[in-house]
Amino acid sequence: MAAVTLTNVVKRFGVFEVVHGANIDIADGEFVVFVGPSGCGKSTLLRMIAGLEDISGGDIAIGGKVMNDVEPADRGIAMVFQSYALYPHMTVEQNLSFGLRMNGNPKPDTERRVKRAAEILRIDELMQRRPKQLSGGQRQRVAIGRAIVREPQVFLFDEPLSNLDAELRVQMRVEISRLHKELGVTMIYVTHDQTEAMTLADRIVVLKGGNVEQIGRPLDLYNDPTNRFVAGFIGSPKMNFIKARIVGRDARGVVVELAGEEKTRIVQPLAGAAPEPGSKVVVGVRPEHFGNAGEGDADIAVAIDVVEHLGGTSFLYAKTANGEDVVIQRDAAKVPDTSEIIVSIRKSYLFDEKGLRLR
Amino acid sequence: MRTQNATAYRFLTPYLLVFAVFWIWPIVSSFLISFQATRTVPWRFAPTFNWGRLIGDPAFYNALKNTLLILVIQVPVMISLAIVMAVLLNSPLLKARGLYRFAFFAPVVVGEVAYSAVFRLMFSLDFGIVNKLLESVGLAKIDWFSNVTPAMALIMIAVTWRWAGYNAILILAGLQSIPEDVYEAATLDRVSKLKQFLYITLPLLKPVIVFCAVLSIIGTMQLFTEPFLITERGGPGGGTETLGLLLYRQGFRSLNFGYASAVAYTMAGLAIAITLVQLWLTREPK
Repeated sequence: MAAVTLTNVVKRFGVFEVVHGANIDIADGEFVVFVGPSGCGKSTLLRMIAGLEDISGGDIAIGGKVMNDVEPADRGIAMVFQSYALYPHMTVEQNLSFGLRMNGNPKPDTERRVKRAAEILRIDELMQRRPKQLSGGQRQRVAIGRAIVREPQVFLFDEPLSNLDAELRVQMRVEISRLHKELGVTMIYVTHDQTEAMTLADRIVVLKGGNVEQIGRPLDLYNDPTNRFVAGFIGSPKMNFIKARIVGRDARGVVVELAGEEKTRIVQPLAGAAPEPGSKVVVGVRPEHFGNAGEGDADIAVAIDVVEHLGGTSFLYAKTANGEDVVIQRDAAKVPDTSEIIVSIRKSYLFDEKGLRLR
Repeated sequence: MRTQNATAYRFLTPYLLVFAVFWIWPIVSSFLISFQATRTVPWRFAPTFNWGRLIGDPAFYNALKNTLLILVIQVPVMISLAIVMAVLLNSPLLKARGLYRFAFFAPVVVGEVAYSAVFRLMFSLDFGIVNKLLESVGLAKIDWFSNVTPAMALIMIAVTWRWAGYNAILILAGLQSIPEDVYEAATLDRVSKLKQFLYITLPLLKPVIVFCAVLSIIGTMQLFTEPFLITERGGPGGGTETLGLLLYRQGFRSLNFGYASAVAYTMAGLAIAITLVQLWLTREPK
């Protein structure tokens, strides 16, 4: 087991810099998820940790030892690939044991490790099958098994569930969580799916355009995002953003007027300096933070376009008076019949024009 | 549905007619001709005339021996060379890859007569560049056209030169279809590049290699151009005469169509038999 430390890690492809000085500390035994949209550099970071990509600047240390120039096989890591990367011409058993056999590992030890991995992942009965005879979930298990037999200090997962259907994804997510508890080793997991990140991670690293936007525990990111990107990326459906402007300041905080709602004022507590009155800002409201009229800080009128019923909960897709799209979460039993309703904002976040959180 | 099919067949009729007359009929006809004595007028049905001669004909056995010798030596050498060329072409370190790909493929599109003439010049006893090179490194020059062994070697070199690049391009396509992350997984498993090639690349290339081998076997069974043009009609003294050349000699020089047809069917039968054995030996385990 080992801690992983990234210090000012930079990656350039020719003249293009795709990772701009990432600093991340991952504790021994921790489950950390790198999450972000396509092209944010999360897979590149993971591949640099694995040694499959050179590091253009900075240091990567595993277990306290700088690994910049260490061969991938000597880093004490094992990786599970998005496409599984199984050897198609080998049986499951041969896939699991291939690396050990090629390195002259004693046969009894190889057999012991393969058997243990098969038991952990419950793939004992698939050992003589070839990858093409397996379902997606089974292939993914074999890919994880191949990582387990290496008995690594750190597991790296590169979007391992993205080729699976929704139901299987949920099932495998639980399996990976169970595996982490059982093995207790450090795991670094890359995904673009914020639900996976929220459900699996001890801590989440949110990336955008090669920059680390925020690192924190899932609920910390959800409840206390540092900027508009993190606020929008974490949470499903995403946070609603409504244009607004500063109109003044009182004892409780800064007073904000929503665009198109001239009589509606929201007072946001603000410890730091307030922007000048008239400054444009954005008010962020999570779908579940809309209440019934009169329940919150401010009431606004919305026109409902579509209602999505998910069983216990429903989502109302609506437009504000200013024409901005908002999603409102309601108990299924409390969905109104009318197409226009008044909702109140019970809790909101304030972001400046650049997207930084004002607090 | 039936009307639609009928319409489709009406559109296909011109093609099917041409196909039947110029493809199916010659196949059937030559099979029938192989059972006829065609050195007499009129031809007469004599089932054992050509096939009986074939079994006891030393010229047939000489041509068969030469063809099989080329098959056994040249095809494996060429496929091995093609694999090496494909791996080099696939290397990320290689610059101007397109140029090399073109260069390797170019021999296939060069006219057969032109390339044969160039080979005759290159391997000429007194003026050829090959003998000059041999002499420059202190080796004796070789009379490539007057001795059987060098002449056979020359045929194999020429065929290899012509077709190795073609096979390399096919194998390259196979190589490029192997996902990169399989190699990355092997690298993480501390598997050396050589072992990756032996235990991952070669097994995954097997279908393409088998395909190339089958094409080469069929091609070699029909080998004609090189022994006809380079070693002058299978010379010296029939030393490089192949089945294809024997067929030509019997059919178009001696106008013995019956015997030539029997040789043709023997060639086709052998090609099918060898290919089936090859496919059986390299079959995928269930």
